[in-house]
Amino acid sequence: MGNSSNLSRRGFLKQCVVGGIAIYSAPLLFGNDKFKTYSNSKLLQSDWKGDSIKPKFRFDAIAKVTGEKIYGRDYRSKDIEGWPSKQSYAFILRVTKANRVFEGINLSSLSNKMKPSVIITADTLKKDDVNFPPFFGKEMLLAPGKVPDYEGQEVAILIFDDFISYKLAKDNLQFNDKVIKYSSTIHPLTTASKAPYSTWRIVREEGLLKDKYSPLQNGLIFPNLENNKPVWPKTGDENGDTLQKAIHYSNKLHEDINNEDWHVIDKTFTTQSIEPAMLEAEAFNGWFDRKTKTMHLVICSQSPADFYTQAGEMLAHSPMGKAVKNLVVHSPYLGGGFGAKDHTPFPYFGLVTLLYSNNPISLANNRFEQFQSGIKRHPFEMKNKLAFDKESKKIKGLITDIEVDGGGRANFSGPVTMVGLSAMQSIYYIPRNDLLGSVYPSAMPIAGSMRGFGTLQTMASMEMMMNEAASDLKVDPIELRRINVFKAGNKNTQGAIPNGDYRYLEMLNMAEKHPIWENRHSKKLQYEKENSDKKYGVGFSIATKDYGTGAAAPSSSVEITENGEIIIRVGYVEMGPGTNTSQGALVSKYLGGLADEVILGEMKAFEVMKQIDTDSPYMISQDKQDKMSKNPQWTPVVHMASAASMSAYFQTHTTDICARLILKHGLYPAAVEIWKTKYFNNAYAKANFGDYTSASWKNGKLSAAGFPPIDLKTLAKKAHEMGLLTGVMVHAFNRWAWASATFDINGVNEDLLIDGLALQYGNTAKSKKKKSNEFSLVNRKTVSYPKTALNNAMVTYLAPCATLVELAISQKSGEVEILNTHTWLEPGTVLVKDLVEGQIEGGLSMGIGHALYESLPQGENGAGNGTWNFSSYHLPLAKDVGVWNMNYTLLPPLSKSDPSKGIGEVVMIPVVSSIVEAIHHAIDKRFYHLPVTAADIKKEI
Amino acid sequence: MSTLKLTINGEKNPAVDIPDEVMMIEYLHEYKNLTGTKFGCGEGVCNACVIIVDNEDGTKEVKKTCVNSAASFNNKKIRTIEGHAKKDKNENLVKLNPVQEAFIEQFSFQCGWCTSGFVNEATLLMEKLKTNPIKKTDVENVIGDALGNHICRCTGYAKYYEGMKKLILSTDGLTR
Repeated sequence: MGNSSNLSRRGFLKQCVVGGIAIYSAPLLFGNDKFKTYSNSKLLQSDWKGDSIKPKFRFDAIAKVTGEKIYGRDYRSKDIEGWPSKQSYAFILRVTKANRVFEGINLSSLSNKMKPSVIITADTLKKDDVNFPPFFGKEMLLAPGKVPDYEGQEVAILIFDDFISYKLAKDNLQFNDKVIKYSSTIHPLTTASKAPYSTWRIVREEGLLKDKYSPLQNGLIFPNLENNKPVWPKTGDENGDTLQKAIHYSNKLHEDINNEDWHVIDKTFTTQSIEPAMLEAEAFNGWFDRKTKTMHLVICSQSPADFYTQAGEMLAHSPMGKAVKNLVVHSPYLGGGFGAKDHTPFPYFGLVTLLYSNNPISLANNRFEQFQSGIKRHPFEMKNKLAFDKESKKIKGLITDIEVDGGGRANFSGPVTMVGLSAMQSIYYIPRNDLLGSVYPSAMPIAGSMRGFGTLQTMASMEMMMNEAASDLKVDPIELRRINVFKAGNKNTQGAIPNGDYRYLEMLNMAEKHPIWENRHSKKLQYEKENSDKKYGVGFSIATKDYGTGAAAPSSSVEITENGEIIIRVGYVEMGPGTNTSQGALVSKYLGGLADEVILGEMKAFEVMKQIDTDSPYMISQDKQDKMSKNPQWTPVVHMASAASMSAYFQTHTTDICARLILKHGLYPAAVEIWKTKYFNNAYAKANFGDYTSASWKNGKLSAAGFPPIDLKTLAKKAHEMGLLTGVMVHAFNRWAWASATFDINGVNEDLLIDGLALQYGNTAKSKKKKSNEFSLVNRKTVSYPKTALNNAMVTYLAPCATLVELAISQKSGEVEILNTHTWLEPGTVLVKDLVEGQIEGGLSMGIGHALYESLPQGENGAGNGTWNFSSYHLPLAKDVGVWNMNYTLLPPLSKSDPSKGIGEVVMIPVVSSIVEAIHHAIDKRFYHLPVTAADIKKEI
Repeated sequence: MSTLKLTINGEKNPAVDIPDEVMMIEYLHEYKNLTGTKFGCGEGVCNACVIIVDNEDGTKEVKKTCVNSAASFNNKKIRTIEGHAKKDKNENLVKLNPVQEAFIEQFSFQCGWCTSGFVNEATLLMEKLKTNPIKKTDVENVIGDALGNHICRCTGYAKYYEGMKKLILSTDGLTR
């Protein structure tokens, strides 16, 4: 290994400097590892482009189907250029009890050949002042003498110099109940003395022209705390401050809910602890090159950008970390995520091991460990009241009081609860609401941002209430939904107007005509007559799920080489949904073909835009935003995490703009030059070919105004010859609306929905502003960011989905067989149909798991005890999901310019409540908890 | 400690001494650096880790590598995911096997972690059907029997199953 200049030459890109440590994001290891199964898969890989419009297969298909090393867990030190080949291994010891004092570890069962070379304990970290990044809280390792905060809490890390000693030791210790020493006396859980992680309250009272009160209009409200419980004022004041107003309207709703003209569904719904169960358990590899003071990391993370910053801060704050001058982070493909690789503490444990070893260290959870320590979604207890006018059947108000189990270490449960509350209304117009949610610590493993982000829990309960109300009010379930559907001009529970058209009526109308729905009663009679040992049921639900975080910050770059190759770079990490495929495909509308290269998870070259962020985008004041935005390099957020439902709309936005600008300023002018030179009397008249929007691609060739089609390769060559625009890099920011800015491009001001730009020109470009084949920053001249008050809108981008479920229940066992499902989805413009279909099918499967099978108990029998695996945690198999009868309808876009919607989560929601309703139809019993197991059903039959 | 002599993807490997405790998947990963076979659960439930074993008597089977020791494969001929595609003399990949082709064209997988297990199981099924064709009406059930215990968290299985069904029905000699 050389010095840091050698690092740069090796293609790492300096990301930032945090606390004196230069952080580099490194190219994906895929294709770069020393050990390669095949010399070259590029021949087959290039076939992905198919007919240049529709990909023949996924961009990463060849690698995945041939077992190439592309995942973090695949890599060993000998695979990575510059690393020593000798690999060391580590694993973490964890407690299984949270009601005893931890008294230390006992490794006496290890023989000499199993002994670790290094043992890291809390004492070790304390001496060296090594701590978690602040996001994860204190006590990276629990010290003896303390009561654990949660089952599964980490107490020590053992490092082994070779695989065999590691393996033998792990086999010896993993289920050995003598390894962790506890006090004999039982101790109260530490949660009893802790305040909630967060509390949210969303109150709204509609008005005629403007709301009488709403978060968007009036602001957010927060309680006081007494004895670690949130306490709200008992009385309000319509003319008082924000809190007093909110309480006034809340109290009014709570009084009015007893109105005898209203029918109220007043029920408590509970959900379970769920394991995301991505098939690649968390893993890490790393090496600290002390000679060059460079720490190299291979992490499996959905949020590498946050990792860069937090890892840098973690090292900078420790004296030991001061030996680190450079941090090089590789972010390979992920074998699934579902939120469980987003902001997890795991890679930081890996990083710590490197401080105590000269060898590369592999840290990899097995499945028992993943259950014990990986991020979960824990129970929601929702006390709901949904009130309807008995006459009109219109919703009059929604009240909820949700208690969320936030697990033993704070993570994303706060935002999860907020999003769950703010999206709960789903497709319905709610004129008055009081939505309260509190997140409490518990002794369960960490709960974070699992797929669904709280909305599966809240929206499923909303649908269950709608179905029950239909029954009580003796109205058709779809008709009840129609009566209450959200319409143009309506505001959501936060007082904001959701973006776009709402096609809920269209979906309801389609579902109503489906034969399974139309014939459900007659078919029930017939089916049960022919299958006397079974009960038959049909259920319907619809949901509309928000996508976006209110602080989306995608970056993309697209460039065309002289040979017409298209290279795309995006910050997004591939977890499975096919982001590289969709990003590579979407450029074809502007560039005539699919990309040759799509580079993910590395923010290569984005540094050219020199962007900085300073404050939390959610907490920044309007004044501060106004002040900071005068700096042309300032943005509310530089990088965003790769979360579900974020690539189709947000990542696509920047890639689309890049490709469009290349057509506008590069390929189209090149075409015009060719046409006017060869096919026009250029010397005698001024050419008028129209602007680039009049051009279109067909069979990989561009034409306009009747002039001969020209292929991409020819255009690219010409664009390079002319020194035209051949590469565009952009950054954008979205707080429920895109920031916009003005940039000078070739002497003309252009208003674009971005806030950062860099341009690259072709071979012959020669000027300070136009460097050839190199991106150069173009500072914005003006910018307009969405106002900070829009943070209170909470959700405005929505993607609706409805699911009809037909099932049969065995009377003998209570087991549910899914016979048929039909899903209606409004995905906006579909980038790659097969990928959207895959999301529907996978979402259905995960929803079925939520509804019928998946659950972890609390306490010492729960996941934290380290004994859970797939033998005890039932993930749906093909036979459980009606695999041959998954049908769907994708609503076509309303126009060519419809954006793509983030649908990765909504597809798993309506199936849950549809199943619960179908069970009711089958056996005339409503359940208010998830999962509804065979044993639950059997009891009722 | 045991001796392990293996033929992996047609290549004979010299005998090595291997601790009895080492599972086959650990041998593949840590000793042979063949990481295409994936670790899913470690208790023989998810089937992500299965490889094909070609027995001396001509029979073939899939075996889980996470719960079977490396030593238990002594003298066996095994096929892993890395061995299915054809390479030219320069080790460039030039052709996938029909199952791999079917799966990629059907967009059968997403994150891909379960894919090597599905490919191995499905490849074995195709080979078995060549010698024991089935009725067209049994295709769905046979696919379910073969692949039904493989866990996938991403896809809902539908495109794996559709891909296999299309492949079986379009391959001469597998159905009657």
